Amino acid sequence: MEFITLLKANLKRHKGGLAGIFILLFLVSLSLVTVLTIWENSNSYIPAEMRRAGFGDLTVWVSGIPNPDLLSNEISALDTVERTESQKIIYSNYVLREQESDSEGQLILYNPKENRYRFFTDSLSGYQPQPEKIQPGEVYVSPSMISIFGAEIGDEITFPIARAGKNLILKIAGWYEDPFMGSSMIGMKGFLIDGSSYDAALAILQNAGIDALARNGAMIHIFAADPEENRSLFSAEINEKTSLSSYAEFVHSKTAISGFMLVLQNAFSGFLFAFAAVLLLAAMAMLGYQIQSAIQQDFVNMGILKTVGFTSKRLCMIQLLQYLIAIICGMLLGLAAAVPMSQNVRFATLTTTGILIPAKLPFSLCLLSFGSILSVLIGFILWKLRNVRHVTPMGAIRGETEKQLFSVKRLPAIRAKGLYASLALRQLFTSKRRYIGACLVAILLVFFASLAGRMDAWLGTDGKGMMDAFNPADHDLGIQSFGELTQETFEKTIRSYSEIIDVYVLAMPNVTVNGVDFTANVIDQPERFHLIEGLPAMADNEIVITEFVAADFGVGIGDSLTIGADLGNHAYRISGIYSCANDMGQNIGISREGYLKIGSDFPNLWCWHYFLADPSQKAAITAELENAYGGDIHIHENTWPGLYGIISAMQALILVLYSMSVLFILIVTIMTGGRILTAEQKDFGIYKAIGFSSASLRMTFAFRFGIMAVTGSVLGTVLAAVFTDPLVSFFMKLAGISNFASAPDLGTVLFPGAIITLLFLCFGWLAARKIEKIDLTILVAE
Amino acid sequence: MKQAILKGQQLCKTFPDGNEILQSVDVEIYNRDFTIIMGASGAGKSTLLYALSGMDKVTGGKVFYREKEITCLSENQMASLRAKEFGFVFQQTHLVSNLTLFENVAVAGYIGKTGTPKEIQEKARQLLRQMKVENAKDRLPANVSGGEAQRAAIARAMIGSPGLLFADEPTGALNRSNTEEVLDLLTALNRNGQSILMVTHDMRAAVRGNRLLYLEDGKLLDQLSLPPYEEAEIKQREAMVSQWLSNLQW
Repeated sequence: MEFITLLKANLKRHKGGLAGIFILLFLVSLSLVTVLTIWENSNSYIPAEMRRAGFGDLTVWVSGIPNPDLLSNEISALDTVERTESQKIIYSNYVLREQESDSEGQLILYNPKENRYRFFTDSLSGYQPQPEKIQPGEVYVSPSMISIFGAEIGDEITFPIARAGKNLILKIAGWYEDPFMGSSMIGMKGFLIDGSSYDAALAILQNAGIDALARNGAMIHIFAADPEENRSLFSAEINEKTSLSSYAEFVHSKTAISGFMLVLQNAFSGFLFAFAAVLLLAAMAMLGYQIQSAIQQDFVNMGILKTVGFTSKRLCMIQLLQYLIAIICGMLLGLAAAVPMSQNVRFATLTTTGILIPAKLPFSLCLLSFGSILSVLIGFILWKLRNVRHVTPMGAIRGETEKQLFSVKRLPAIRAKGLYASLALRQLFTSKRRYIGACLVAILLVFFASLAGRMDAWLGTDGKGMMDAFNPADHDLGIQSFGELTQETFEKTIRSYSEIIDVYVLAMPNVTVNGVDFTANVIDQPERFHLIEGLPAMADNEIVITEFVAADFGVGIGDSLTIGADLGNHAYRISGIYSCANDMGQNIGISREGYLKIGSDFPNLWCWHYFLADPSQKAAITAELENAYGGDIHIHENTWPGLYGIISAMQALILVLYSMSVLFILIVTIMTGGRILTAEQKDFGIYKAIGFSSASLRMTFAFRFGIMAVTGSVLGTVLAAVFTDPLVSFFMKLAGISNFASAPDLGTVLFPGAIITLLFLCFGWLAARKIEKIDLTILVAE
Repeated sequence: MKQAILKGQQLCKTFPDGNEILQSVDVEIYNRDFTIIMGASGAGKSTLLYALSGMDKVTGGKVFYREKEITCLSENQMASLRAKEFGFVFQQTHLVSNLTLFENVAVAGYIGKTGTPKEIQEKARQLLRQMKVENAKDRLPANVSGGEAQRAAIARAMIGSPGLLFADEPTGALNRSNTEEVLDLLTALNRNGQSILMVTHDMRAAVRGNRLLYLEDGKLLDQLSLPPYEEAEIKQREAMVSQWLSNLQW
């Protein structure tokens, strides 16, 4: 009974501090459960939806094939293949809302019997039953078209099937879910169409001859007899034993696709996990401070309780229970709030990912996480409560807790000039233990905000960092001609806007590396590749490879690989390691001369890459060239559709991070400030009595938090400078990006520290509002 | 003719529970006087002192310092007045715990801006010397005796050369020898022209004053004027004050 009475009394006495712990743990739990929900659901949903969509262990995109069924049968006949499924497609560029597509789209013939796709309601609020048929002239697209093109239902999409304006124009009838091509991360987009639209496109194509702009093809899903078989060997065997390599545009394994689709979500989830961990550490710092202050505050009471027979263990149990009540309540509320939060996230990301990630709470994972966190926190609380053992009745009477443990000799002097700052420093130094928690929080938050800031700086406002990671070489504008249009003609248009500083040509044909399909970056100036190690592939028997290819094949500089294309195979020596994250780093770089030893040359293979004296003219040049030459030309800038999704996600992440930081700092400042104000109430009365105004006292109070935050910020910034690159590089490598190195400007480096310091200062000022209410009669003797 | 430095007109103080501590008190404190407020516990002595010094808000009436009403001053104006014109000594020493005795005194001078920093520091040293705590000036309040701390508190109160020094039972927490030392210091200050308003219920402290006010149930009941304090006349003064107090049935 007395246990309950004391517990109730403690809860009442420390309600302010416990409320702070409750809110901090609520925020930790909310962020953790939300991330767990998104992470767990996306990791299970994407592979499940890929199975529904019928992706095989390997999926091959083929074109120029007279009869895809024959090829399917040829592949199915292999012992290692269980079966194949094929989907008819037409590759075509498209124009939506006057924007030309960056990559080719795929018009996919819709067959409701296959039940491959899920369809969203018009408002994207959920799913609706799949349509029995798609109406002629209509098309279903991924919701990511909203974020990429600003698409709306009823918009018309123009597919230039052949020159001379032979277009297929389709109206958007609704949205469908595609776990691969639906994502804004992927340039090629799927368009579900009905049989009559498909036939119409095919008819144009068949009559177009050399004027054809679109291509007929198929997606062949190949299911391995042994699902455990090595994908590279499986692919090599199919290439070797069938005619697939003659028609293959590109090949992706199911594992690679789901890995790629999940990699950024996992990277962002990992980042948010780390942030939740930082919040937990910050909450522990504050919990430690709260426990220490409460012991000081309850010192006399505990001494008295010991005189009436309470043991240290029993007193600790009361203290532990009071914190656990706040912690568990906070965590449970966070868990409950994570449900609507996850719902919001799934709908907010729908137009970027193209999929509606379920928001089902992963109970077992949450239980495991909560159990682990609670165990850590219980251990931490008991460790902090060890001082209760030292409370003795006599110690309480002697007021041992009030001991002054500092020497003024080592402290900065109080000066008339900068009086408030020097007083703040003195107060800070003489009661530094009170501020350690807040300082730790500042270090952690600045470190994390700096890390995010450095990633953002690397990404850049236009995503240049990411583009440099994905592109084999830099450029301002890339132009590829599909018809008779000559280089001289479009260069004339470019020069009317800007001088051309430099130019090189690049092609990206499919090749085989030791029999496995890969993309080759073929360039006429190999020194332009983003080389990490070794030398550029200048000779015609040399190649450069990515770190990932090197790891896959277990090769390095000086070793050889066999590269094959339509004219044959040849062994090439690896001269260097370069960086290109395209196809998750599964690509090689080779010189033009080197490629032409094994592959055919044709004019439309090459894309001219220009460096402009005035890169701001890119949009104007693009617009004029597209108007003048329409489907005969494809122009791309140093960007890709998925980039905007990543930039938006990064910005949203930073916004979330700073919002949480603001809340955290507010709570931490109020908790710490409240305790300090209570402890120093008399000192404030004295200062007021000798002529300090409330405003000046509030200023010195805010200064303490400012000084402490500056200290934390400096440490956090230094930690971020030391650890960001290796830490982020680790995550980036998962996405095929091997050359992450942040080179932030001074503003980016200083911003997190400055903003966190400013927040501490402001909230310190706000928390000090109570100083105004301190009555001088507090100094009157009782 | 004595010049009133501080005036209280119709001062009332009622607590939220309805308890009337001051009931329309009219009082004048004169320049260069050592005024003592006496009365039984709960009579409202300290409340009157804090009301007159502007440290506590009155619920009725006005206070004038050098003919200027201070009850209507803003918080900042009141802080400035306290820094420049008033000095305070409390029953508990009330020194800032993390400042040395010297710093406690100097900070009060800095905030009052009564001179250049060098002048203030020199004056602080001189006051601490005068208060006989020069040797302890670099110690923290926790490391000095109660008497030393209280003498440093008087030095702090004097750093701005205040027009009026308020003292609320300044010897209440001191032993006999420290009490005498503190009273001697206050007497010496008064002799040098310092106006002092002190609350006490201690006879030894009361006899130091030249004007004694008696407060009962929140009303000013009587006053007694004495000649300036001379140590040789202490017995005579004690008798006069005792007689006065017994007439008031204290």
